[in-house]
Amino acid sequence: MTMERSIFVDPSRCIGCGACMAACRECDGHRGKSLMNLDFLDRSTSTAALPTVCMHCVDPVAPCAQVCPVDAILVSEDGVVHSPDASRCIGCQNCVHGCPWGVPKFDVEEQLVHKCDLCYDRTSVGLGPMCATVCPSDALYYGSEDEVRASRPRRAAVDVFSFGRQELQTGNWMVVPEEFSVLTFPLVGP
Amino acid sequence: MPPERTSLSHTHPRFREYVVGGVAALGLMVLIWAGSNQLANFDSALIGYAVGIVALTFAIVSRYARWLRMPSTGRYWRRGWQLVSSWESFRALPGLLPRAVLGQMVGQGFIRRRGLVRWFGHQCLFWGVIGATLITFPLVFGWLAFKLEPGSTETYRMFAFGFGTLTFDATSFFGWSMFHALNYTAVLVIAGCVVFLWRRFRDRAVIAGQSFGYDMMPLLMLVVISVTGILLTVSATLFEGSYYDFLVIIHMAAVVLTLVFIPYGKFFHVVQRPASVGIQMYNEINLRGGRQPCALCGEPLAPEQFVVDLKSTFDELGQDYTIDDESAPARHLSELCPRCKRVSRAGGYFALNGSSFAK
Repeated sequence: MTMERSIFVDPSRCIGCGACMAACRECDGHRGKSLMNLDFLDRSTSTAALPTVCMHCVDPVAPCAQVCPVDAILVSEDGVVHSPDASRCIGCQNCVHGCPWGVPKFDVEEQLVHKCDLCYDRTSVGLGPMCATVCPSDALYYGSEDEVRASRPRRAAVDVFSFGRQELQTGNWMVVPEEFSVLTFPLVGP
Repeated sequence: MPPERTSLSHTHPRFREYVVGGVAALGLMVLIWAGSNQLANFDSALIGYAVGIVALTFAIVSRYARWLRMPSTGRYWRRGWQLVSSWESFRALPGLLPRAVLGQMVGQGFIRRRGLVRWFGHQCLFWGVIGATLITFPLVFGWLAFKLEPGSTETYRMFAFGFGTLTFDATSFFGWSMFHALNYTAVLVIAGCVVFLWRRFRDRAVIAGQSFGYDMMPLLMLVVISVTGILLTVSATLFEGSYYDFLVIIHMAAVVLTLVFIPYGKFFHVVQRPASVGIQMYNEINLRGGRQPCALCGEPLAPEQFVVDLKSTFDELGQDYTIDDESAPARHLSELCPRCKRVSRAGGYFALNGSSFAK
């Protein structure tokens, strides 16, 4: 299960404009809901912002789907981890709290979880996901690893991350300084 | 058309699960024998349906047993039954179980909040299918039977499990309705299918992720069953039984095929969905003790029991999000709220990127 093209997330390029949030709402499959997350470290002292999309975990495959008790989150052959099936999701929120990336969002009224699905209606027919299509600074870039390596010297793309003792390989990538091959996230307070 | 989806619960079945399914199917056959007055009330013309339902029982119970093997499902299953059978839970929230059943299973307000038309369509389908099942299954099993009263040509008596119950005039409206109740449920089912087929052809959000086998086929099968069912009545009452035998075969084939595929497709949500009753009880009972705060921001996170159970589920799955750093505020990633997971990751990322973004 591999994705031929992926999203490359480079938070160092993010200018916090929120275009990705707005574009995400416009995706046909998202019903006016933005499934993007855009977080700021501390707006009074830093311009730093972090856009978060689903990383479509490959190994172990989709922890969110594995903790789902009703098999509502399905993984297609191309590695895309889909939003929970509305007929199955029972609103337990296991995926919301189980996702290491903090991606799924719970709608209390609808008792339904929504998550980034890589704009499957678009990417399954060769188009780019909405967030990466509109990002003005290429903080979210949709393409291949070779394209990113060629266009961003002294940067590396990593798809292996360490959360505590758990190592995760993902379908989407993060762009980091070139000395890193595995990204270990130290726990830093907000 | 999107590629076929793979499901994580499609693990290899175990022999024990087939045994459980076989025992359930055998149990149903015994109940059919006993409930039909040792097959005296069993209508042999309905044997195809009976075989289909026995096969369905085997498949659903086997599939259910395999489903419960998933770590989180098994844990919720055990917790759910602990809560349902707990006197303390009942005393704390005596109305919880009926409220959860009414809200989740009957009223389905959560679907109404997703869209009024969607809710209307689902209610039509839900009550149509429930009604048809409650009528068809007892008839097929021979648990319900209708017999002419001795000496009468129009008065029938209904027998339930071999015991005589009410009598009615077959030529009255009530009598007609008793013998043609499935037409009423078929109208409900068709109305529901029209709503959902309309969505599947017109709603771009739905079209984006649907597949023919998983999403369209079940609706089309329900339409075939309902339309052929109504045509049987039309044939018998208006056209002196023209094409009746042909319609019977088409109708029976559609029903049996739909029954057999229930455990493997969209309709399995009918079996899974009642779990939401257990989830509501689990949440409400555990929330009485409040929410555990997020280890970083201190905002309410989730009930303590929920966090403990989630960690246990990850343990069973062989995933370890334990944080060994003694100076870190959390011992496990599940102790952070989603936002703190993202923001702490941002902090970590920018720290790795150098000082330009740091506070």
